[in-house]
Amino acid sequence: MAWFKKRPFLWFILPGFALYSLFTVYPIFSAFQISLNRWDGIGPKTFVGFANYAELFGNKELFGQLTGAFRHSVVLFLLNTLAVLPGQLYMAYLLYSRIKGHRFFQAMIFSPQFIATPVIVFMGTLIFDGNIGVFNKLLEAVGLGEWTRPWMGLPELGIYIVWMMVAWSGIGVGMIFFLGAMKMIPVEMMEAALLEGASYWRRFFSIVLPQIKTTVLNMLILTYIFAMTMFDFSFILGGVSGGINRSVDVMALFFYRIAFGDNSAVGGTMNVNAMGMGTTIACVMFSVIFVVAVVQVVLTYRRTEDGA
Amino acid sequence: MNLKARRTYASSAILWLYSSFTLFVLGYMTYQAFRSKKELLSNTFGWPEVFNFANFGKLFAEAGFHRYFFNSVLILAATLLIVIGLSSMVAYGIGRFRFRFKNGLLVYFLIGLMFPVQLGIVPIFLLIRDMGLMNSQWGVVIVLASGLSMPVFLLTTFFEKLPADLYESAKIDGAGEWTTFQRVMFPLASPVVFSICIIMSVQIWNQFFVPLIMLQSEAKKTIPLMIMKFTNNLMYNIDLAMAGSVMATVPILILFFIFSGRVLEGVASGGIKG
Repeated sequence: MAWFKKRPFLWFILPGFALYSLFTVYPIFSAFQISLNRWDGIGPKTFVGFANYAELFGNKELFGQLTGAFRHSVVLFLLNTLAVLPGQLYMAYLLYSRIKGHRFFQAMIFSPQFIATPVIVFMGTLIFDGNIGVFNKLLEAVGLGEWTRPWMGLPELGIYIVWMMVAWSGIGVGMIFFLGAMKMIPVEMMEAALLEGASYWRRFFSIVLPQIKTTVLNMLILTYIFAMTMFDFSFILGGVSGGINRSVDVMALFFYRIAFGDNSAVGGTMNVNAMGMGTTIACVMFSVIFVVAVVQVVLTYRRTEDGA
Repeated sequence: MNLKARRTYASSAILWLYSSFTLFVLGYMTYQAFRSKKELLSNTFGWPEVFNFANFGKLFAEAGFHRYFFNSVLILAATLLIVIGLSSMVAYGIGRFRFRFKNGLLVYFLIGLMFPVQLGIVPIFLLIRDMGLMNSQWGVVIVLASGLSMPVFLLTTFFEKLPADLYESAKIDGAGEWTTFQRVMFPLASPVVFSICIIMSVQIWNQFFVPLIMLQSEAKKTIPLMIMKFTNNLMYNIDLAMAGSVMATVPILILFFIFSGRVLEGVASGGIKG
Protein backbone atom coordinates (compact mmCIF):
# COMPACT_ATOMS: atom_id res chain seq x y z
CA MET A 1 0.00 0.00 0.00
CA ALA A 2 2.84 2.36 0.91
CA TRP A 3 4.34 1.75 -2.51
CA PHE A 4 1.09 2.88 -4.11
CA LYS A 5 0.78 5.87 -1.75
CA LYS A 6 4.10 7.17 -3.01
CA ARG A 7 2.93 6.87 -6.57
CA PRO A 8 -0.49 8.55 -6.71
CA PHE A 9 -0.37 8.74 -10.51
CA LEU A 10 -0.87 4.96 -10.67
CA TRP A 11 -4.42 5.31 -9.37
CA PHE A 12 -5.17 7.76 -12.15
CA ILE A 13 -3.59 5.72 -14.89
CA LEU A 14 -4.54 2.15 -14.00
CA PRO A 15 -8.26 1.97 -14.94
CA GLY A 16 -7.71 3.48 -18.40
CA PHE A 17 -4.54 1.45 -18.84
CA ALA A 18 -6.41 -1.78 -18.11
CA LEU A 19 -9.29 -1.12 -20.51
CA TYR A 20 -7.02 0.16 -23.28
CA SER A 21 -4.60 -2.74 -22.90
CA LEU A 22 -7.29 -5.38 -22.89
CA PHE A 23 -9.37 -4.15 -25.84
CA THR A 24 -6.94 -2.21 -28.01
CA VAL A 25 -3.42 -3.60 -27.53
CA TYR A 26 -3.95 -7.21 -26.48
CA PRO A 27 -6.21 -8.06 -29.49
CA ILE A 28 -3.39 -7.24 -31.90
CA PHE A 29 -1.07 -9.80 -30.25
CA SER A 30 -3.87 -12.26 -29.70
CA ALA A 31 -4.80 -12.02 -33.38
CA PHE A 32 -1.28 -13.04 -34.32
CA GLN A 33 -1.38 -15.96 -31.91
CA ILE A 34 -4.75 -17.15 -33.27
CA SER A 35 -3.47 -16.82 -36.85
CA LEU A 36 -1.02 -19.65 -36.15
CA ASN A 37 -3.93 -22.03 -35.53
CA ARG A 38 -6.62 -23.76 -37.46
CA TRP A 39 -9.80 -22.78 -35.64
CA ASP A 40 -13.49 -22.18 -36.31
CA GLY A 41 -14.05 -20.14 -33.13
CA ILE A 42 -15.86 -22.81 -31.10
CA GLY A 43 -14.19 -26.18 -31.42
CA PRO A 44 -10.62 -27.13 -30.46
CA LYS A 45 -7.68 -25.13 -31.81
CA THR A 46 -4.99 -26.93 -33.81
CA PHE A 47 -1.57 -25.31 -33.98
CA VAL A 48 -0.45 -25.17 -37.60
CA GLY A 49 2.41 -22.66 -37.54
CA PHE A 50 2.49 -20.44 -40.60
CA ALA A 51 0.30 -22.76 -42.67
CA ASN A 52 -2.51 -20.20 -42.79
CA TYR A 53 -0.14 -17.63 -44.30
CA ALA A 54 1.10 -20.19 -46.79
CA GLU A 55 -2.49 -20.98 -47.73
CA LEU A 56 -3.48 -17.31 -48.04
CA PHE A 57 -0.63 -16.64 -50.45
CA GLY A 58 -0.61 -20.05 -52.13
CA ASN A 59 -4.32 -20.79 -52.63
CA LYS A 60 -5.31 -19.35 -55.99
CA GLU A 61 -8.84 -18.33 -54.97
CA LEU A 62 -7.79 -16.74 -51.67
CA PHE A 63 -4.79 -15.00 -53.16
CA GLY A 64 -6.94 -13.70 -56.01
CA GLN A 65 -9.40 -12.21 -53.53
CA LEU A 66 -6.54 -10.78 -51.48
CA THR A 67 -4.87 -9.03 -54.41
CA GLY A 68 -8.21 -7.80 -55.76
CA ALA A 69 -9.17 -6.31 -52.42
CA PHE A 70 -5.70 -4.87 -51.90
CA ARG A 71 -5.74 -3.27 -55.36
CA HIS A 72 -9.04 -1.58 -54.56
CA SER A 73 -7.70 -0.31 -51.23
CA VAL A 74 -4.67 1.10 -53.05
CA VAL A 75 -6.94 2.74 -55.65
CA LEU A 76 -8.87 4.39 -52.82
CA PHE A 77 -5.65 5.63 -51.24
CA LEU A 78 -4.27 6.99 -54.52
CA LEU A 79 -7.50 8.75 -55.48
CA ASN A 80 -7.76 10.25 -52.00
CA THR A 81 -4.14 11.41 -52.14
CA LEU A 82 -4.13 12.73 -55.69
CA ALA A 83 -7.63 14.21 -55.85
CA VAL A 84 -9.12 14.70 -52.39
CA LEU A 85 -6.02 15.95 -50.57
CA PRO A 86 -5.26 18.77 -53.05
CA GLY A 87 -8.96 19.62 -52.95
CA GLN A 88 -8.83 19.85 -49.17
CA LEU A 89 -5.76 22.11 -49.33
CA TYR A 90 -7.37 24.29 -51.99
CA MET A 91 -10.60 24.72 -50.05
CA ALA A 92 -8.77 25.23 -46.75
CA TYR A 93 -6.69 28.00 -48.33
CA LEU A 94 -9.78 29.72 -49.74
CA LEU A 95 -11.43 29.57 -46.31
CA TYR A 96 -8.20 30.76 -44.68
CA SER A 97 -8.18 33.83 -46.89
CA ARG A 98 -11.76 34.48 -45.79
CA ILE A 99 -13.45 34.14 -49.14
CA LYS A 100 -16.91 35.67 -49.07
CA GLY A 101 -19.32 33.27 -47.40
CA HIS A 102 -16.53 31.20 -45.83
CA ARG A 103 -18.54 30.29 -42.72
CA PHE A 104 -21.35 28.90 -44.83
CA PHE A 105 -18.99 27.00 -47.11
CA GLN A 106 -17.05 25.42 -44.30
CA ALA A 107 -20.23 24.21 -42.60
CA MET A 108 -21.67 22.88 -45.87
CA ILE A 109 -18.50 21.06 -46.90
CA PHE A 110 -18.06 19.52 -43.46
CA SER A 111 -21.70 18.53 -42.94
CA PRO A 112 -21.66 15.10 -44.71
CA GLN A 113 -19.32 13.97 -41.93
CA PHE A 114 -22.38 13.87 -39.67
CA ILE A 115 -24.31 11.57 -42.00
CA ALA A 116 -24.21 7.84 -41.26
CA THR A 117 -22.71 5.67 -44.01
CA PRO A 118 -25.93 3.78 -44.86
CA VAL A 119 -27.63 7.14 -45.46
CA ILE A 120 -24.78 8.29 -47.71
CA VAL A 121 -25.01 5.10 -49.77
CA PHE A 122 -28.79 5.59 -49.94
CA MET A 123 -28.25 9.15 -51.18
CA GLY A 124 -25.93 7.70 -53.80
CA THR A 125 -28.76 5.41 -54.89
CA LEU A 126 -31.18 8.34 -55.12
CA ILE A 127 -28.80 10.08 -57.49
CA PHE A 128 -27.18 7.29 -59.50
CA ASP A 129 -29.81 4.52 -59.54
CA GLY A 130 -30.85 3.29 -63.00
CA ASN A 131 -34.57 3.87 -62.51
CA ILE A 132 -35.15 6.40 -59.76
CA GLY A 133 -31.81 8.23 -60.02
CA VAL A 134 -31.63 11.99 -60.57
CA PHE A 135 -28.48 11.75 -62.66
CA ASN A 136 -30.09 9.73 -65.45
CA LYS A 137 -33.05 12.11 -65.43
CA LEU A 138 -30.61 15.00 -65.81
CA LEU A 139 -28.89 13.27 -68.75
CA GLU A 140 -32.25 12.82 -70.45
CA ALA A 141 -33.17 16.43 -69.83
CA VAL A 142 -30.04 17.71 -71.59
CA GLY A 143 -30.51 15.33 -74.50
CA LEU A 144 -27.96 12.68 -73.56
CA GLY A 145 -30.62 10.02 -73.05
CA GLU A 146 -28.55 7.26 -74.64
CA TRP A 147 -25.94 7.68 -71.89
CA THR A 148 -28.25 6.63 -69.07
CA ARG A 149 -26.89 3.69 -67.08
CA PRO A 150 -27.65 1.84 -63.84
CA TRP A 151 -24.56 3.56 -62.44
CA MET A 152 -24.62 1.97 -59.00
CA GLY A 153 -24.59 -1.54 -60.45
CA LEU A 154 -21.79 -1.31 -63.02
CA PRO A 155 -18.90 -3.53 -61.85
CA GLU A 156 -16.28 -1.52 -63.74
CA LEU A 157 -17.30 1.65 -61.89
CA GLY A 158 -17.81 -0.02 -58.50
CA ILE A 159 -14.77 1.18 -56.60
CA TYR A 160 -14.99 4.67 -58.12
CA ILE A 161 -18.59 5.01 -56.92
CA VAL A 162 -17.38 3.95 -53.47
CA TRP A 163 -14.61 6.51 -53.68
CA MET A 164 -16.98 9.33 -54.66
CA MET A 165 -19.13 8.65 -51.60
CA VAL A 166 -16.06 8.35 -49.36
CA ALA A 167 -14.69 11.63 -50.72
CA TRP A 168 -17.96 13.52 -50.31
CA SER A 169 -18.41 12.35 -46.75
CA GLY A 170 -14.81 12.80 -45.61
CA ILE A 171 -13.42 15.81 -47.47
CA GLY A 172 -14.41 18.25 -44.72
CA VAL A 173 -12.34 16.68 -41.94
CA GLY A 174 -8.99 17.09 -43.65
CA MET A 175 -10.01 20.55 -44.82
CA ILE A 176 -10.72 21.64 -41.24
CA PHE A 177 -7.41 20.12 -40.04
CA PHE A 178 -5.52 22.01 -42.75
CA LEU A 179 -7.41 25.20 -41.99
CA GLY A 180 -6.50 24.83 -38.31
CA ALA A 181 -2.84 24.37 -39.22
CA MET A 182 -2.91 27.39 -41.55
CA LYS A 183 -4.30 29.55 -38.77
CA MET A 184 -1.21 28.69 -36.69
CA ILE A 185 1.13 30.28 -39.26
CA PRO A 186 2.55 33.53 -37.82
CA VAL A 187 0.71 36.51 -39.31
CA GLU A 188 3.97 38.48 -39.74
CA MET A 189 5.18 35.87 -42.18
CA MET A 190 2.15 36.28 -44.40
CA GLU A 191 2.31 40.06 -44.14
CA ALA A 192 5.98 40.14 -45.13
CA ALA A 193 5.24 38.04 -48.20
CA LEU A 194 2.34 40.31 -49.07
CA LEU A 195 4.55 43.41 -48.81
CA GLU A 196 7.12 41.81 -51.07
CA GLY A 197 4.38 41.48 -53.64
CA ALA A 198 4.04 37.69 -53.66
CA SER A 199 0.84 36.70 -55.44
CA TYR A 200 -2.03 34.79 -53.84
CA TRP A 201 -0.96 31.34 -55.08
CA ARG A 202 2.74 32.16 -54.74
CA ARG A 203 2.13 32.73 -51.01
CA PHE A 204 0.35 29.37 -50.88
CA PHE A 205 3.23 27.43 -52.39
CA SER A 206 6.15 29.24 -50.77
CA ILE A 207 4.81 29.89 -47.27
CA VAL A 208 1.60 28.09 -46.41
CA LEU A 209 2.46 24.66 -47.84
CA PRO A 210 5.94 24.36 -46.22
CA GLN A 211 4.52 25.60 -42.90
CA ILE A 212 1.79 22.96 -42.71
CA LYS A 213 3.82 20.11 -44.15
CA THR A 214 3.69 18.06 -40.93
CA THR A 215 -0.11 18.21 -40.94
CA VAL A 216 -0.14 17.13 -44.60
CA LEU A 217 2.12 14.18 -43.78
CA ASN A 218 -0.09 13.19 -40.86
CA MET A 219 -3.13 13.43 -43.11
CA LEU A 220 -1.39 11.19 -45.64
CA ILE A 221 -0.84 8.42 -43.11
CA LEU A 222 -4.42 8.74 -41.83
CA THR A 223 -5.65 8.47 -45.43
CA TYR A 224 -3.56 5.36 -45.90
CA ILE A 225 -4.81 3.69 -42.72
CA PHE A 226 -8.36 4.62 -43.71
CA ALA A 227 -8.03 3.11 -47.19
CA MET A 228 -6.59 -0.13 -45.79
CA THR A 229 -9.33 -0.54 -43.16
CA MET A 230 -12.38 1.03 -44.85
CA PHE A 231 -15.29 -1.36 -44.52
CA ASP A 232 -18.78 0.13 -44.28
CA PHE A 233 -19.18 1.74 -47.73
CA SER A 234 -18.20 -1.43 -49.56
CA PHE A 235 -20.22 -3.69 -47.27
CA ILE A 236 -23.40 -1.63 -47.58
CA LEU A 237 -23.04 -1.23 -51.34
CA GLY A 238 -21.90 -4.73 -52.26
CA GLY A 239 -22.84 -6.96 -49.32
CA VAL A 240 -20.60 -9.66 -47.86
CA SER A 241 -19.46 -10.83 -51.30
CA GLY A 242 -18.14 -7.40 -52.29
CA GLY A 243 -20.52 -6.72 -55.16
CA ILE A 244 -20.76 -8.16 -58.67
CA ASN A 245 -17.38 -9.73 -59.54
CA ARG A 246 -16.17 -8.38 -56.16
CA SER A 247 -16.07 -4.96 -57.77
CA VAL A 248 -16.21 -3.02 -54.49
CA ASP A 249 -14.23 -5.50 -52.39
CA VAL A 250 -11.61 -4.00 -50.04
CA MET A 251 -9.18 -5.44 -47.48
CA ALA A 252 -11.43 -5.07 -44.43
CA LEU A 253 -14.40 -6.59 -46.26
CA PHE A 254 -12.33 -9.56 -47.42
CA PHE A 255 -11.29 -10.06 -43.80
CA TYR A 256 -14.90 -9.80 -42.60
CA ARG A 257 -16.10 -12.28 -45.23
CA ILE A 258 -13.60 -14.91 -44.17
CA ALA A 259 -13.86 -14.37 -40.41
CA PHE A 260 -17.57 -13.76 -39.95
CA GLY A 261 -19.00 -15.20 -43.16
CA ASP A 262 -22.67 -14.81 -43.90
CA ASN A 263 -24.20 -13.02 -40.92
CA SER A 264 -23.27 -15.88 -38.64
CA ALA A 265 -22.55 -14.69 -35.12
CA VAL A 266 -20.18 -17.49 -34.28
CA GLY A 267 -17.83 -16.86 -37.13
CA GLY A 268 -18.44 -18.35 -40.54
CA THR A 269 -20.61 -21.40 -41.02
CA MET A 270 -19.03 -22.65 -44.18
CA ASN A 271 -15.41 -22.25 -43.18
CA VAL A 272 -13.94 -24.56 -40.52
CA ASN A 273 -10.93 -22.25 -40.29
CA ALA A 274 -12.82 -18.94 -40.12
CA MET A 275 -11.00 -17.51 -37.12
CA GLY A 276 -7.58 -18.82 -38.11
CA MET A 277 -7.73 -17.50 -41.67
CA GLY A 278 -9.57 -14.33 -40.58
CA THR A 279 -6.87 -13.34 -38.12
CA THR A 280 -4.22 -14.23 -40.72
CA ILE A 281 -5.74 -11.63 -43.06
CA ALA A 282 -5.97 -9.15 -40.17
CA CYS A 283 -2.26 -9.67 -39.47
CA VAL A 284 -1.41 -9.08 -43.12
CA MET A 285 -3.43 -5.82 -42.97
CA PHE A 286 -1.63 -4.99 -39.74
CA SER A 287 1.82 -5.39 -41.27
CA VAL A 288 0.81 -3.48 -44.40
CA ILE A 289 -0.13 -0.55 -42.14
CA PHE A 290 2.73 -0.98 -39.69
CA VAL A 291 5.50 -0.83 -42.31
CA VAL A 292 4.19 2.41 -43.81
CA ALA A 293 3.53 3.94 -40.38
CA VAL A 294 7.09 3.23 -39.23
CA VAL A 295 8.52 4.72 -42.44
CA GLN A 296 6.42 7.84 -41.87
CA VAL A 297 7.44 8.18 -38.21
CA VAL A 298 11.12 7.82 -39.17
CA LEU A 299 10.76 10.42 -41.93
CA THR A 300 9.02 12.90 -39.62
CA TYR A 301 11.56 12.29 -36.88
CA ARG A 302 14.50 12.89 -39.20
CA ARG A 303 12.93 16.04 -40.57
CA THR A 304 12.45 17.61 -37.12
CA GLU A 305 16.07 16.73 -36.26
CA ASP A 306 17.24 18.46 -39.41
CA GLY A 307 15.14 21.46 -38.58
CA ALA A 308 16.49 21.79 -35.05
CA MET B 1 -4.76 42.80 -42.86
CA ASN B 2 -5.88 41.91 -46.33
CA LEU B 3 -4.72 38.52 -47.42
CA LYS B 4 -7.48 38.16 -49.95
CA ALA B 5 -6.96 37.15 -53.50
CA ARG B 6 -7.82 39.88 -55.93
CA ARG B 7 -10.10 37.74 -58.05
CA THR B 8 -11.83 34.79 -56.48
CA TYR B 9 -14.82 34.47 -58.80
CA ALA B 10 -13.81 31.07 -60.13
CA SER B 11 -13.06 29.74 -56.65
CA SER B 12 -16.29 31.18 -55.30
CA ALA B 13 -18.21 29.52 -58.10
CA ILE B 14 -16.63 26.15 -57.30
CA LEU B 15 -17.47 26.43 -53.61
CA TRP B 16 -21.02 27.55 -54.41
CA LEU B 17 -21.53 24.64 -56.79
CA TYR B 18 -20.15 22.15 -54.29
CA SER B 19 -22.23 23.50 -51.40
CA SER B 20 -25.36 23.65 -53.55
CA PHE B 21 -24.89 20.03 -54.48
CA THR B 22 -24.77 19.02 -50.81
CA LEU B 23 -27.79 21.19 -50.04
CA PHE B 24 -29.65 19.72 -53.00
CA VAL B 25 -29.02 16.13 -51.91
CA LEU B 26 -30.27 16.88 -48.40
CA GLY B 27 -33.27 18.85 -49.61
CA TYR B 28 -34.19 16.29 -52.26
CA MET B 29 -34.12 13.44 -49.75
CA THR B 30 -36.23 15.41 -47.28
CA TYR B 31 -38.74 16.27 -50.01
CA GLN B 32 -39.07 12.66 -51.11
CA ALA B 33 -39.62 11.52 -47.52
CA PHE B 34 -43.07 13.13 -47.58
CA ARG B 35 -44.27 11.12 -50.57
CA SER B 36 -45.92 7.70 -50.70
CA LYS B 37 -44.05 4.48 -51.50
CA LYS B 38 -46.05 3.95 -54.69
CA GLU B 39 -45.22 7.39 -56.02
CA LEU B 40 -41.56 7.13 -55.04
CA LEU B 41 -41.11 4.02 -57.15
CA SER B 42 -43.35 4.72 -60.13
CA ASN B 43 -43.56 8.49 -60.33
CA THR B 44 -40.23 9.59 -58.86
CA PHE B 45 -39.97 12.89 -60.70
CA GLY B 46 -43.64 13.70 -61.22
CA TRP B 47 -45.71 16.24 -59.30
CA PRO B 48 -46.54 14.76 -55.87
CA GLU B 49 -50.14 13.66 -55.32
CA VAL B 50 -49.53 12.59 -51.76
CA PHE B 51 -47.48 14.85 -49.52
CA ASN B 52 -47.75 14.19 -45.79
CA PHE B 53 -46.12 12.80 -42.68
CA ALA B 54 -47.39 9.24 -43.24
CA ASN B 55 -43.89 7.77 -43.72
CA PHE B 56 -42.72 9.28 -40.45
CA GLY B 57 -45.76 7.93 -38.63
CA LYS B 58 -45.03 4.50 -40.02
CA LEU B 59 -41.38 4.83 -39.01
CA PHE B 60 -42.33 5.28 -35.37
CA ALA B 61 -45.43 3.09 -35.19
CA GLU B 62 -44.36 0.07 -37.25
CA ALA B 63 -40.58 0.22 -37.44
CA GLY B 64 -39.99 1.40 -33.86
CA PHE B 65 -37.58 4.22 -34.71
CA HIS B 66 -37.54 5.41 -31.08
CA ARG B 67 -36.08 2.05 -29.99
CA TYR B 68 -33.09 2.34 -32.35
CA PHE B 69 -32.73 5.96 -31.36
CA PHE B 70 -32.65 5.03 -27.67
CA ASN B 71 -30.00 2.36 -28.32
CA SER B 72 -27.84 4.83 -30.23
CA VAL B 73 -28.18 7.46 -27.50
CA LEU B 74 -27.39 4.93 -24.77
CA ILE B 75 -24.22 3.78 -26.55
CA LEU B 76 -23.15 7.35 -27.27
CA ALA B 77 -23.74 8.66 -23.74
CA ALA B 78 -22.17 5.72 -21.93
CA THR B 79 -19.13 5.60 -24.22
CA LEU B 80 -18.52 9.34 -23.92
CA LEU B 81 -18.77 9.22 -20.12
CA ILE B 82 -16.29 6.37 -19.85
CA VAL B 83 -13.89 7.83 -22.42
CA ILE B 84 -13.86 11.27 -20.81
CA GLY B 85 -13.53 9.88 -17.30
CA LEU B 86 -10.76 7.40 -18.00
CA SER B 87 -8.80 9.47 -20.51
CA SER B 88 -8.72 12.59 -18.34
CA MET B 89 -7.48 10.51 -15.41
CA VAL B 90 -4.79 8.83 -17.49
CA ALA B 91 -3.77 12.14 -19.04
CA TYR B 92 -3.64 13.82 -15.63
CA GLY B 93 -1.52 10.98 -14.28
CA ILE B 94 0.93 11.19 -17.16
CA GLY B 95 0.92 14.97 -17.57
CA ARG B 96 1.00 16.09 -13.94
CA PHE B 97 3.41 13.67 -12.27
CA ARG B 98 7.04 12.88 -12.92
CA PHE B 99 8.05 9.25 -12.99
CA ARG B 100 10.12 6.78 -14.95
CA PHE B 101 8.68 5.44 -18.23
CA LYS B 102 6.41 8.48 -18.44
CA ASN B 103 7.17 9.09 -22.12
CA GLY B 104 7.11 5.39 -22.87
CA LEU B 105 3.64 5.23 -21.36
CA LEU B 106 2.41 8.08 -23.53
CA VAL B 107 3.78 6.35 -26.64
CA TYR B 108 2.04 3.16 -25.49
CA PHE B 109 -1.26 5.01 -25.43
CA LEU B 110 -0.54 6.54 -28.83
CA ILE B 111 0.08 3.33 -30.77
CA GLY B 112 -3.67 2.74 -30.77
CA LEU B 113 -3.96 5.57 -33.32
CA MET B 114 -2.27 3.35 -35.85
CA PHE B 115 -4.51 0.34 -35.40
CA PRO B 116 -8.23 0.69 -36.01
CA VAL B 117 -10.64 -1.68 -34.31
CA GLN B 118 -11.07 -3.73 -37.51
CA LEU B 119 -7.65 -5.35 -37.05
CA GLY B 120 -8.29 -6.76 -33.61
CA ILE B 121 -11.98 -7.49 -33.96
CA VAL B 122 -11.68 -11.30 -33.82
CA PRO B 123 -10.01 -11.39 -30.37
CA ILE B 124 -12.33 -8.56 -29.26
CA PHE B 125 -15.30 -10.60 -30.45
CA LEU B 126 -14.04 -13.62 -28.48
CA LEU B 127 -13.41 -11.54 -25.32
CA ILE B 128 -16.87 -10.01 -25.46
CA ARG B 129 -18.41 -13.42 -26.07
CA ASP B 130 -16.60 -14.89 -23.06
CA MET B 131 -17.76 -11.97 -20.92
CA GLY B 132 -21.34 -12.75 -21.95
CA LEU B 133 -21.80 -9.29 -23.46
CA MET B 134 -22.60 -10.50 -26.95
CA ASN B 135 -25.74 -8.86 -28.31
CA SER B 136 -25.67 -6.25 -25.56
CA GLN B 137 -25.17 -2.51 -25.93
CA TRP B 138 -22.59 -2.70 -23.12
CA GLY B 139 -20.32 -4.87 -25.24
CA VAL B 140 -20.31 -2.14 -27.90
CA VAL B 141 -19.74 0.52 -25.23
CA ILE B 142 -16.70 -1.25 -23.77
CA VAL B 143 -15.09 -1.81 -27.16
CA LEU B 144 -15.67 1.77 -28.35
CA ALA B 145 -14.59 3.22 -24.98
CA SER B 146 -11.24 1.43 -25.13
CA GLY B 147 -10.15 3.69 -28.00
CA LEU B 148 -8.46 6.13 -25.63
CA SER B 149 -5.50 7.20 -27.77
CA MET B 150 -6.72 10.49 -29.21
CA PRO B 151 -8.33 11.86 -26.00
CA VAL B 152 -5.35 10.81 -23.86
CA PHE B 153 -3.01 12.56 -26.26
CA LEU B 154 -4.98 15.82 -26.38
CA LEU B 155 -5.54 15.95 -22.62
CA THR B 156 -1.95 15.04 -21.72
CA THR B 157 -0.72 17.93 -23.85
CA PHE B 158 -3.15 20.16 -21.97
CA PHE B 159 -2.26 19.02 -18.44
CA GLU B 160 1.48 19.21 -19.15
CA LYS B 161 1.15 22.87 -20.04
CA LEU B 162 -0.78 23.85 -16.89
CA PRO B 163 1.40 25.91 -14.52
CA ALA B 164 2.65 23.90 -11.55
CA ASP B 165 1.56 26.63 -9.06
CA LEU B 166 -2.06 25.71 -9.62
CA TYR B 167 -1.38 22.22 -8.42
CA GLU B 168 0.81 23.39 -5.53
CA SER B 169 -1.74 25.88 -4.22
CA ALA B 170 -4.48 23.27 -4.26
CA LYS B 171 -2.22 20.97 -2.26
CA ILE B 172 -1.47 23.70 0.27
CA ASP B 173 -5.20 24.14 0.75
CA GLY B 174 -5.12 20.57 2.00
CA ALA B 175 -6.92 18.95 -0.92
CA GLY B 176 -6.10 15.32 -1.64
CA GLU B 177 -4.91 14.15 -5.05
CA TRP B 178 -8.38 13.11 -6.14
CA THR B 179 -10.08 16.29 -4.95
CA THR B 180 -7.44 18.41 -6.68
CA PHE B 181 -8.07 16.56 -9.90
CA GLN B 182 -11.84 16.59 -9.66
CA ARG B 183 -12.43 20.12 -8.34
CA VAL B 184 -9.57 22.09 -9.87
CA MET B 185 -7.86 20.35 -12.76
CA PHE B 186 -10.68 18.61 -14.60
CA PRO B 187 -12.90 21.73 -14.85
CA LEU B 188 -9.95 23.63 -16.33
CA ALA B 189 -9.77 21.10 -19.14
CA SER B 190 -13.37 21.61 -20.23
CA PRO B 191 -12.55 23.25 -23.61
CA VAL B 192 -10.40 20.24 -24.53
CA VAL B 193 -13.07 17.89 -23.21
CA PHE B 194 -15.61 19.67 -25.40
CA SER B 195 -13.44 19.12 -28.49
CA ILE B 196 -13.03 15.46 -27.65
CA CYS B 197 -16.78 15.06 -27.14
CA ILE B 198 -17.47 16.54 -30.57
CA ILE B 199 -14.94 14.38 -32.41
CA MET B 200 -15.85 11.18 -30.55
CA SER B 201 -19.60 11.77 -30.84
CA VAL B 202 -19.45 11.81 -34.63
CA GLN B 203 -17.43 8.60 -34.64
CA ILE B 204 -19.62 6.79 -32.12
CA TRP B 205 -22.97 7.94 -33.50
CA ASN B 206 -22.10 6.78 -37.02
CA GLN B 207 -20.17 3.71 -35.88
CA PHE B 208 -21.11 0.82 -38.12
CA PHE B 209 -18.59 -1.98 -37.82
CA VAL B 210 -18.64 -2.76 -34.09
CA PRO B 211 -22.46 -2.74 -33.68
CA LEU B 212 -22.78 -4.83 -36.86
CA ILE B 213 -20.65 -7.56 -35.32
CA MET B 214 -21.84 -7.34 -31.71
CA LEU B 215 -25.59 -6.72 -31.99
CA GLN B 216 -27.84 -9.34 -33.50
CA SER B 217 -31.37 -8.82 -32.24
CA GLU B 218 -33.43 -5.98 -33.69
CA ALA B 219 -34.22 -4.70 -30.20
CA LYS B 220 -30.55 -3.87 -29.58
CA LYS B 221 -29.58 -2.38 -32.93
CA THR B 222 -28.57 1.22 -33.62
CA ILE B 223 -29.81 3.76 -36.17
CA PRO B 224 -27.21 3.03 -38.91
CA LEU B 225 -28.08 -0.68 -38.77
CA MET B 226 -31.80 0.17 -38.96
CA ILE B 227 -31.25 2.24 -42.09
CA MET B 228 -29.25 -0.52 -43.71
CA LYS B 229 -32.12 -2.92 -43.04
CA PHE B 230 -34.46 -0.62 -45.00
CA THR B 231 -32.08 0.21 -47.85
CA ASN B 232 -31.31 -3.49 -48.38
CA ASN B 233 -34.78 -3.92 -49.80
CA LEU B 234 -35.79 -0.66 -51.39
CA MET B 235 -38.74 -2.12 -53.32
CA TYR B 236 -40.50 -2.82 -50.02
CA ASN B 237 -39.02 -0.24 -47.71
CA ILE B 238 -38.13 2.86 -49.71
CA ASP B 239 -40.65 4.92 -47.72
CA LEU B 240 -39.09 3.85 -44.42
CA ALA B 241 -35.58 4.32 -45.85
CA MET B 242 -36.43 7.91 -46.79
CA ALA B 243 -38.07 8.83 -43.50
CA GLY B 244 -35.42 7.00 -41.47
CA SER B 245 -32.59 8.70 -43.33
CA VAL B 246 -34.17 12.11 -42.81
CA MET B 247 -34.73 11.48 -39.10
CA ALA B 248 -31.15 10.25 -38.72
CA THR B 249 -29.65 13.17 -40.61
CA VAL B 250 -31.61 16.40 -40.61
CA PRO B 251 -31.96 17.08 -36.84
CA ILE B 252 -28.22 16.54 -36.28
CA LEU B 253 -27.31 18.75 -39.22
CA ILE B 254 -29.58 21.54 -37.95
CA LEU B 255 -27.84 21.35 -34.58
CA PHE B 256 -24.49 21.38 -36.35
CA PHE B 257 -25.36 24.46 -38.42
CA ILE B 258 -26.42 26.36 -35.31
CA PHE B 259 -23.20 25.55 -33.44
CA SER B 260 -20.93 25.06 -36.45
CA GLY B 261 -18.40 27.71 -35.38
CA ARG B 262 -17.65 26.09 -32.04
CA VAL B 263 -17.92 22.54 -33.37
CA LEU B 264 -15.43 23.15 -36.18
CA GLU B 265 -13.01 24.84 -33.78
CA GLY B 266 -13.19 21.70 -31.66
CA VAL B 267 -12.51 19.47 -34.65
CA ALA B 268 -9.58 21.64 -35.77
CA SER B 269 -7.91 21.48 -32.36
CA GLY B 270 -8.06 17.68 -32.55
CA GLY B 271 -6.15 17.75 -35.81
CA ILE B 272 -3.14 19.76 -34.76
CA LYS B 273 -0.55 17.32 -33.68
CA GLY B 274 3.19 17.43 -33.47
